[in-house]
Amino acid sequence: MREKKTRNQIAPAIIFLLPGFTLLIVFFLGPLLYSFRISFFDWNFAHPDRSVYVGLQNYITQFKSQIFQRAVSNTVIYTVITVVVKMVLGFFVAVILNQKLSGRTGFRVAYYLPVITSWVIVSLLFTYMFSGMGGLVNYFLKDVLHVIDKNIMWLADSTLALVPVVLVDIWKGVGWAAVIFLAGLQSIPVELLEAAEVDGANRWQRLTGVMLPMMRGTLVFLLVVLVLGGLNAYVPFQLITRGNPMDQTHSILTLMYRATFSRMNFGSGAAISYLLTIFVFVLSVVQLKLLRKPAGE
Amino acid sequence: MKRSQLIYKIISYSILLLGLGIVAIPIWYMVSTAFKPQTMVFELPPQLWPNPSTFDNFIKAVTTDHFGLYFWNSVKVTLTATLLTVLISSMLAYAFARLNFPGKEALFYILLLGMMVPPVMLIIPQFIVSHKLDLYNNLWGLILVYVTMNIAMQTFLLRGVFEDVPRDLEEAAMIDGGSPFTIFTKIVLPLSGPGLAVVVINSFLYSWEEYTWANVNIGDSVNRTLPIGLALFQSEHLTEWGQVFAASLIALIPVVIIFILFQRYFVQGVSTTGIKG
Amino acid sequence: MKARFPFIILSVLIVMSIILGACAKVATPEAPADVTVAPNEVVVTEAPIAEPVTIKYWHTMSDAEAAKLNEVISAFESANAGISVQATRYAWSDFKTALLTAIAGGDVPDTVRMDIAWVSEFASQGALMQLDGFLPDFDAIAASVFPGPLSTNKWDGHYYGLPQNTNTQVLVYNKAAFEAAGIASAPATIEEFVADACALTDTAKGTYGFAEGGTYFWAPAPLFYAMGGKIVDDGITTATGYVNSAESVAAFTMLKDLYDKGCMSPNLLGGGIATDAGQGTGIYAMIIDGPWMVDIYKNNYPELQFEFALIPAGATGTSSVVGGEDVVILDGSKNKEAAAKWVSYLMSVEAQKALAQVGVIPTISSLAGDPDLPAHFGIFMEQLKTAQARVPSPKWSDMDNAINNAYQRILNGDQTPQEALDQAATEINALIAQ
Repeated sequence: MREKKTRNQIAPAIIFLLPGFTLLIVFFLGPLLYSFRISFFDWNFAHPDRSVYVGLQNYITQFKSQIFQRAVSNTVIYTVITVVVKMVLGFFVAVILNQKLSGRTGFRVAYYLPVITSWVIVSLLFTYMFSGMGGLVNYFLKDVLHVIDKNIMWLADSTLALVPVVLVDIWKGVGWAAVIFLAGLQSIPVELLEAAEVDGANRWQRLTGVMLPMMRGTLVFLLVVLVLGGLNAYVPFQLITRGNPMDQTHSILTLMYRATFSRMNFGSGAAISYLLTIFVFVLSVVQLKLLRKPAGE
Repeated sequence: MKRSQLIYKIISYSILLLGLGIVAIPIWYMVSTAFKPQTMVFELPPQLWPNPSTFDNFIKAVTTDHFGLYFWNSVKVTLTATLLTVLISSMLAYAFARLNFPGKEALFYILLLGMMVPPVMLIIPQFIVSHKLDLYNNLWGLILVYVTMNIAMQTFLLRGVFEDVPRDLEEAAMIDGGSPFTIFTKIVLPLSGPGLAVVVINSFLYSWEEYTWANVNIGDSVNRTLPIGLALFQSEHLTEWGQVFAASLIALIPVVIIFILFQRYFVQGVSTTGIKG
Repeated sequence: MKARFPFIILSVLIVMSIILGACAKVATPEAPADVTVAPNEVVVTEAPIAEPVTIKYWHTMSDAEAAKLNEVISAFESANAGISVQATRYAWSDFKTALLTAIAGGDVPDTVRMDIAWVSEFASQGALMQLDGFLPDFDAIAASVFPGPLSTNKWDGHYYGLPQNTNTQVLVYNKAAFEAAGIASAPATIEEFVADACALTDTAKGTYGFAEGGTYFWAPAPLFYAMGGKIVDDGITTATGYVNSAESVAAFTMLKDLYDKGCMSPNLLGGGIATDAGQGTGIYAMIIDGPWMVDIYKNNYPELQFEFALIPAGATGTSSVVGGEDVVILDGSKNKEAAAKWVSYLMSVEAQKALAQVGVIPTISSLAGDPDLPAHFGIFMEQLKTAQARVPSPKWSDMDNAINNAYQRILNGDQTPQEALDQAATEINALIAQ
């Protein structure tokens, strides 16, 4: 049996890979190289032949910029918080929604609704809830809980403004993580859980001792995808803070968008993208290598 | 035993309902606004129950020019893109999960790059490709790009799912002379229901919501998709949030239907018992 | 369970194959006859004189404007046999992305109605046609329009567009609030404006005399210009002595005082009640805004009694900021001659008056006071005589950002107005030098 598994299966592999990689080469890798080239130019989008080669200048400019540095730290903080919270909450929601409950489909839909609700509208609602002038959050903190005595101007403060940005992403993202966990839970054989139950393991022990280890693949997938999604955050930042106040609440990608489509500085935009891509790529490879299934499992 | 189960049920429901409250407040706000006659949206304190409630906003949204056409275009694009994504990414995932070939790891990482590059950075070169292949202003131009931009993540997901399919069965099939294609269609796919269901849900949502590429690649209003329609509607009714909310609620319906249909595959291990032996 | 998933896939496949048939139909080049929107879809690349040509025209008009535009197009087409116009409406958000991509991808619309602030940006990249010396009646048209809107088309000594429509901001005030506070008329001077703003403020009720929509330059610009503020010199060579001049500093000091006294809503720093919603619900007595407020208030707050007034006068009289859109011909257009005819037609009295009926303010100065125009245009056209254009520079967005950040530092008390504007001057000078 061993030798069967290790022999090369080039012919079937080519057939299985061909459709996907054809698309990737035409619509992804080609465009990728094209825009990579742009990052070394002061690029003229109307007349590419008038573009000026500037070497690494577009990259160096970013590192020197205080706004870029702040955007990097915003993005990293945002990623760490949202990934941890979405994974923990998503897991528990999935475990609960995996049981035989009456109205289960309804609950599942309800928890998935935030995922599909329009970003524009959700951001608008969160902006409104975090309004510095009698928004819902200030109302609770001031008039119900009495923990503050003056309305907080959330969006006027470069640190506090990140609170609604993080919360909106968590609100919208828990359902997605839960769905992935929910699917992952199905790969755990029932008899394993039953066996654990017979052995006297309580629910918590079954959760951490049986379920989590059995879902390594799901965990790794979610971790990698959520981390790279977090580092690529654009929409919540753009819709809620737009970099205000004083350009201190950008994410890496809002700066990239601004450089490219507002300032028409394509070279800079491309440089920001590739700095991010390289960082994300290395990080993902490291995560995958570290979390790889131990041999023999 | 019985009592502890009952307590556990009660705790589960309490947690679910609490979470539901958090999930529901913004959504309820959106729904109630959609039923309000004028924009009373940002009033303080918030008025949660629309009074008087009205369907006008929904009617206005649906009767806006081309709403039906945009909706239909979106249905065509999304269903085709979803089907192709499921097909292509499951083939890729099978190759990466089960077949041995040189350069496998390198190819996999190249594939993963597909979910790491900010898509907007690729828009201009993609537009040039689309133009060269005569896909500009063409729904296939949307479909092929959606599939391309989506297969990386879905393949990554499915590779994990396929790896969890027990190998014993496959090996038995191989000894019986089954080709990789038979194993793929007869064993791996049927055992990966929940994973495929997730891929369907993800791909559908992605193609249904995609805006930036659709806005760029479609220059003719007859070929536009619903997100463009919603953006136009929003441009037009900038301050009439009731109408904007109503339009986007209607746009949610197909995604909810797909979710309800496919979440049924998230059912604890009914299928695993038979294959363990 | 095992068997059901493939079954679902199979049934989806069948549905798909039906749908795909329909999909392919739309996708085929010989487009079906039931296409309703584009009239006369004859695609011609290189046009010998007599052959019919199609001019593409992209815009971001509203439904009503787009409907009126169709009438304008019909009139143009019947007067110019062989030229048809295919108009495409885009949503405001991401219009620039679509346009930039089309230009970079080499498939450009022939003509575009774009924001006045974009013309110099696109022109500096060689994306636009120079119109002086190309458009046969350029001089006549240029002489007929308001100078402020025209100046937004100028870059490097030449004109790359014409002002298709314009707007400006005036004072919008709540009449009932003024009466309740015993104020008889709108403030005519900055001093009166400041006094009224505080008189109309009631901290206990949470109402404010004045509110601005944000800290981006468009918001404070009318008061800034009315108080004699400037950003750069006319030649766009330096900001020193302009953005940090005594007048500019005075304008931001006035706003800072209003903010500190609580007479101006804190919403401009983000996360507050928007100016239209606030005025519509009686929270803000005065705002400064454009002609579109007529429709917004009619649709959303029909009860509101609002009036327009000129921006309160500073030492040099009233002033405001020019907004609106310019029409341009793209450098990559293959039908430049026909495009020029279309642009000239859009600048004609006939076309301008037609679009005025749906609320678009014309740029032809002789139309001021024309009885065919909507009544509320009067005040805006009066204000346009003194309204100033923002800096027509490709770097304007960055300059705007520098002023925006300075304004935020002032309001937060991080810097005095003088310090903040000195820093803005340094930043703007660096942008000019690039």
